[in-house]
Amino acid sequence: MHEGVAAYVLGVLDEEELEEFERHLDTCARCQAELQDMAEIPSRLDELKHLPSAAEDDPPMSMSR
Amino acid sequence: MCPVLGHLAGKLESTDAEAEHRIAVLYQEFGGPLLRHVRKSTGNDLQWAEDVVQETIVRAWRHSARLQWEPSLIWAWLLTVARRIVIDGRRRKSVRPHEVEPPEVDMLAVPDGSERALSAMVVADALRSLSEEHREVIEQTYLRDRTINEAAEILGIPPGTVKSRLYYGIRALRVLLRDKGVAG
Ligand SMILES: [Zn+2]
Repeated sequence: MHEGVAAYVLGVLDEEELEEFERHLDTCARCQAELQDMAEIPSRLDELKHLPSAAEDDPPMSMSR
Repeated sequence: MCPVLGHLAGKLESTDAEAEHRIAVLYQEFGGPLLRHVRKSTGNDLQWAEDVVQETIVRAWRHSARLQWEPSLIWAWLLTVARRIVIDGRRRKSVRPHEVEPPEVDMLAVPDGSERALSAMVVADALRSLSEEHREVIEQTYLRDRTINEAAEILGIPPGTVKSRLYYGIRALRVLLRDKGVAG
């Protein structure tokens, strides 16, 4: 359950899991601490969109065709 | 302010007035910083950012128990709630093609272009330093606006594995960025 905190911070849980995780968060000090620790990460990732050649057009190396 | 008394007073007298007051206090404490933060992810669309802040504040007010948390935790939670509202909004917009945002909105953003590009390169470097497995799940979820379940289907691995890799990947990324002085 604790591992859901990263997905929660990034906003990639579906609606049902999101509600479930928030209930967990209410009583879990560990996840509360990690939420604070990770909260700024998405903004850092958003900075990638400001790179001159946005990586969005070319598929990542990991993607097989 | 005593929340218990406030709550009782609200019940006995005017619930609406008490609610209004609480929302006003939330706006006062978090509204400004939250709006500045949200504007970065709405491509400087001010109207949209204001709507997101409003919805975030109302949601916070509905979960008033969380407002007893310490302010730095409340702030982290508000950022997370606001981000989710932005993401949901973007998903809704993208299913209505005629409302697609002009792609150059970012040009109007804060004019420190070179500094931003530099910071972006640091993040790109950090991402490249991650293991293949960790980088892959960050790319296939957040960076492509996909949920855990959608990414799991594309990657052909169980959702629980995606969630777990994302957790360790984000932790590793956090350490890398902290070492480079990018994440506070
Ligand atoms: Zn937990």
